Amino acid sequence: MFNFLSKKLRSWQQQNQNINKENKENDNSKKTKENSQAKLSSNLKENLDSIKAILGVCEDLIIREFAFGNKGQISAAIIFIDGMVDRTLINDNIIKPLMYDNRFICEEESLEIKNIDIIKGTILYVGEIEKSTTINDLVESCLSGDTILLIEKAKEALVISSRGWETRGVVDPETETIVRGPREGFTENLRTNTTLLRRKIKSPDFMLEAMKIGRKTNTAISIAYLKGVANPEVIEEAKRRLKRIDTDGILESGYIEGFIEDAPLSIFSTIGNSEKPDTVAGKILEGRVAVLVDGTPFVLTFPMVFIEGFQSAEDYYSRPYYASLVRVIRFIAFAISILAPSSYVAATTFHQELIPTPLLFTVAASSEGTPFPAVVEVLAMGVIFEILREAGIRLPRPVGQAISIVGALVIGESAVSAGLIGGIVVIVIALTAVASFVVPAQTDSGAILRVILVILAGSMGGVGIMVGLIGILIHLASLRSFGTPYLSPLAPLSPFDLKDVFFRVPIWAMLTRPKSIVRQNIQRQKFILKPTPPPEKKDKGGSK
Amino acid sequence: MRNRKIIVSIIICILLTLSISGCWNRRELNTFSILMGMGIDKAEEVGKVQLTAQIINVSELKQGGSSNKEAYLAVRSTGDTVFDALRNFTKESNRKIYLPHNKVLILGEDIATEGVQKYIDFFVRDHEMRLRESVLVAKGKAEEILNVKSELEKIPAAGISSLLKSQNATSEATDVDMKDFISRLMSKTTAPIAPLIEISGEEEKKVLRISGMAIFKQDKWVGELEGSKARGILWVIDKIESGIIVVDCPNEEGKMSLEIIRASSKITPELKGDKVSIKVEIKEEGHIGDQECPCELKSHDISSIEKMKTTVIRAEVISALEKARELNTDIFGFGDSVHQKYPKQWKDIESSWDEVFPEIEVEIVVDAKVRRSGILIMPASS
Repeated sequence: MFNFLSKKLRSWQQQNQNINKENKENDNSKKTKENSQAKLSSNLKENLDSIKAILGVCEDLIIREFAFGNKGQISAAIIFIDGMVDRTLINDNIIKPLMYDNRFICEEESLEIKNIDIIKGTILYVGEIEKSTTINDLVESCLSGDTILLIEKAKEALVISSRGWETRGVVDPETETIVRGPREGFTENLRTNTTLLRRKIKSPDFMLEAMKIGRKTNTAISIAYLKGVANPEVIEEAKRRLKRIDTDGILESGYIEGFIEDAPLSIFSTIGNSEKPDTVAGKILEGRVAVLVDGTPFVLTFPMVFIEGFQSAEDYYSRPYYASLVRVIRFIAFAISILAPSSYVAATTFHQELIPTPLLFTVAASSEGTPFPAVVEVLAMGVIFEILREAGIRLPRPVGQAISIVGALVIGESAVSAGLIGGIVVIVIALTAVASFVVPAQTDSGAILRVILVILAGSMGGVGIMVGLIGILIHLASLRSFGTPYLSPLAPLSPFDLKDVFFRVPIWAMLTRPKSIVRQNIQRQKFILKPTPPPEKKDKGGSK
Repeated sequence: MRNRKIIVSIIICILLTLSISGCWNRRELNTFSILMGMGIDKAEEVGKVQLTAQIINVSELKQGGSSNKEAYLAVRSTGDTVFDALRNFTKESNRKIYLPHNKVLILGEDIATEGVQKYIDFFVRDHEMRLRESVLVAKGKAEEILNVKSELEKIPAAGISSLLKSQNATSEATDVDMKDFISRLMSKTTAPIAPLIEISGEEEKKVLRISGMAIFKQDKWVGELEGSKARGILWVIDKIESGIIVVDCPNEEGKMSLEIIRASSKITPELKGDKVSIKVEIKEEGHIGDQECPCELKSHDISSIEKMKTTVIRAEVISALEKARELNTDIFGFGDSVHQKYPKQWKDIESSWDEVFPEIEVEIVVDAKVRRSGILIMPASS
């Protein structure tokens, strides 16, 4: 069997290599094409024709030809994509200065303004202007919302930044709601998102590096980190992995995650994501690297460790005692969410002697007369729960309520009263369902683990659960996220980092950044910051 | 290549774990019936065993007794051995009996006098057993005991079990579970004890009563101790939980009851030549529970109460000791304490323990204290 598997794997690998080769060839051909690309000519009409030839007859492409100068002797054109530009900016800051202001100048000056540098330097009231010479560059920037200014007899064109389109405002993030803390969330706009981060970390060390990925989508992404804190090797590795991506489109940060994660075949995610600028800023300050992707509010952060799922931004905003209690509760809830159904199955079908006698009566009474074995009951209820959950997410909101009523009443109540399933099973599954949402980062992996453990418990009882748990533990211990062991700081143990695992020590005691992630600049604050009463003044009468 | 080896070894490890599990066998809750109480008697047919089992009728237990049916079923079966009789239950009952949740094991008078070893072997040997069931000796037939309905509990066996638990209010009998019983039986010298249960009252008003402690010699029931004499055993083996000691009022007419709050004991053996002597130290603390005489107690009164209490405790221990000497059975575990302290010399003593035991000099040191007088300092009327 193993021979067969390894052969299969090898043949896949070979195929992959072949595909890679083909891709490379494609790349090469693309590059040669680019190289052979004609530069701009000095003829305006020719230039316009070649741009039209590339962009075709797109209905949203707008080419505005006009003339300026005191006698209107200089013909020019601006090209932009409708809807991706700020129209008032084009009208007031590009066309108006050229056409209106230039009418009153004298003839000599009028000759001078043919010079593209003078237009760039003295006439246009726009913040960001670049010069470009190849048609391909022009097309690319036009497609990302820039405006192109072409002038007769100039071999260069101006790329004027005029991006402006409808975006969603900065609103409450829906996936991570909190009681105390900032309420803003990332949006779909990359620039807004980097701004939200920049507003939190106003330091020259906060670096944002741009990159474009996606042959067709040309998605802008941004790598954010804190220079001097983030591990340079992680940054390098991240860039290497990102550059490797050669695909036609990136629609969401999940695509990027899939391409750069360490354990692509694992059910555990080795890259974190968040919708909240404060969470991401916190992770960047801890020395992590963030990747922002245009078009999605979900920002990736790595290296990610297992316990990160149990930490919430609010832990650091509320007082340490309650935060620590909640931490512990999250761990308990996670244990319940993956172990409760399997423990129920194991106890009722293998280890009845473990159940206290009065409880055994209750359990036995509820399962009396039910047609299915416990393991089938639990699996079926688990599947029904997942169906309800999925339906609840996908349904239009007004219909959602009906589903929850039908789900809760029909499936919960009637199934028990009809004697299809035992009442205890419903309780176990309901508890599991509630507990599984306490740790959002592990909700999806938890659902899979749950099913595996129930099957193991149904076939081998407690031994099966132990085998499953040991397997999960071995797997977790083998994972790495950008060089950081997934189970750190627990395994390998770094005692100082335990300050933020099962309990959260007061902020003034959080002296260091996590050692497993940061290699330099470990100390994050001064040593003695514990609030103390002011020192008593020695001479009471004296003022200064 | 290396990877494959690792994978293979992991899979072998997982498969091996399957073989080490004791109970691979899955069974649903509704395929067996839960046993709550078991009685063992001799069958009328010579040489056979009769088992009386009290099993739960789960569906009756469910809805708080909506119908008039009982929450339990009493079934009876006979066989050549205990295990044989147990399997014979399936001839009448459609579900196999599930033993681990058994609460009480009642040994009938006839098998207790004959020797219980061969009857309880199964309950210890079987891998499912938890050894948590209480062992009782019935005066009469175990079957009859199990048939007496409990007033408060739906299941008679549960009633017996809680009756045993409530004995620690007087500490004149104690709950002995299978583990205790069997470990005493395994010891060469220490004799098992078990609470005695009997039926009192007439036909319709039958109730169960714990009448004292049965004393065994090896596995045979040889005698019994009742009331405060039974408490004498418990003082020595450190099983006193609570209880009342009644003494006379100092100076005046009337009685006082002293509640036992804490008690502990320590057995120290000493070997001088061939002579074994044992020192039993008993520490007791208690409160004044009630007082008949209307007088204020002074501190010297308290110390005289303590002295009286000491005397009572000593008398209880001595009466138990005398009984043990009379039956020549080491219910206190003196032999084991000598074995622990003098393991080398023990070999010589062990074989002749029956001769040694009645001659042992036992020194009883009782340290009884009265700590509080409740929330009254003096009686209301004084």
